[in-house]
Amino acid sequence: MKLILMGLVTGILFGFLLQKATVLRYDRQLGALRLKDMTIVKFMLSAVCVSMVGVYLLHDLGMVSLSIKSTILGANIIGAILFGLGWGLLGYCPGTSLGALGEGRYDALWGIIGMVFGAAVFARAYPFLTETVYQWGDYGKVTIPSALGINHWPVIIVFIIISLLLFRWFEKMKL
Amino acid sequence: MESSKQQWSPYLAGALTGIVIILSVWIAGQYFGASTSFVRTAGIIESVFAPETVSGLEYYQRVAPRLDWQWFFVAGILLGSLIAAKTGGTFRWQAVPDMWRGRFGNTPVKRGVTAFAGGAVLMFGARMADG
Repeated sequence: MKLILMGLVTGILFGFLLQKATVLRYDRQLGALRLKDMTIVKFMLSAVCVSMVGVYLLHDLGMVSLSIKSTILGANIIGAILFGLGWGLLGYCPGTSLGALGEGRYDALWGIIGMVFGAAVFARAYPFLTETVYQWGDYGKVTIPSALGINHWPVIIVFIIISLLLFRWFEKMKL
Repeated sequence: MESSKQQWSPYLAGALTGIVIILSVWIAGQYFGASTSFVRTAGIIESVFAPETVSGLEYYQRVAPRLDWQWFFVAGILLGSLIAAKTGGTFRWQAVPDMWRGRFGNTPVKRGVTAFAGGAVLMFGARMADG
C-alpha cells in the first residue's frame, strides 16, 4: 500500500516536470526523431547525468542496488527497430502517452489502446521469441564499466563531458 | 501559441527529474519504467474475459496481471501532467497534433489509426528489448 502510494506520488512529480518542459507533445517527439528539435534530448540527458551520479554514489555507499538489464543483441536490436518504427508513427512513448492524455492530447488514447493490444500480442509471441531472438547474442548483465574492466566514475565523467559539449552545440545550432 | 513563460527549461526540468529518480531508487528501491504496466493492464483486461487464456500464457505468469508500484507511477504521470497543464493554463483538448495537421490536415481518424498501429508495434518492440 505504501509502495503504491509512493509510485503515484513519484509519477505525479515526473508527469508535472514532463508537462512543464513541454516534452509530452507529438511535435517535440517527432522534432527529436527528425533531428530538428533537441528539447527531449536535453531533458533526458540532464536527467541521466544527475541520476547517474546520485545512484552510483548511493551504490558505492551500499545503500541501493542497481537494476541491470540483460544484453541480448538479437532481442535488443530487433526490439529497438520495432520500437523506433512504432514511436515514429505514434509520436509518444509508453510513459509520455499518459502525460500527453493528461494535458488534453487525446490522440494519445488510441496509442495507449494500441500499446495494450501490442502487449497482448507479445504475450502470445513470447514462447516463439524465447527460442529465437532471445538466443541470439546473449551477453548477460554487462555495463560499459564492466565491459571495459574499469571503475564506473571515469565512464560517468566522460558521459557528462560529452553531454555538456552536446548541450553547447545544441544551443549554438538553436536546436 | 501558449505563453513561453509557462515553459520550464528542459535542462532544469530534466535535472529535477534526475533528483526524483535518485529519491525513488533510494526510498522506494524503484527505477523508472512504463512498458511493463501495459502488459499488466492487458493481462487484467484479458483475465476479465478469458481467465483460462491468461493462466495458459507463460508471459502473464512472468509479468503477473496486478497493480504494482510502476502501474501507479504511470497513472501518476497522467495526473501530474493534468495538474501542471490545468494550473499553468496550457491544457488543450486536441485530436490532431499541430505538426500532423500541417502535413496531413485535420484527419483525426487517420491519426487515430496510425497512433493505434504505432502503439502496437512500439510496445511489441519495447517488450522484446526488455525496455
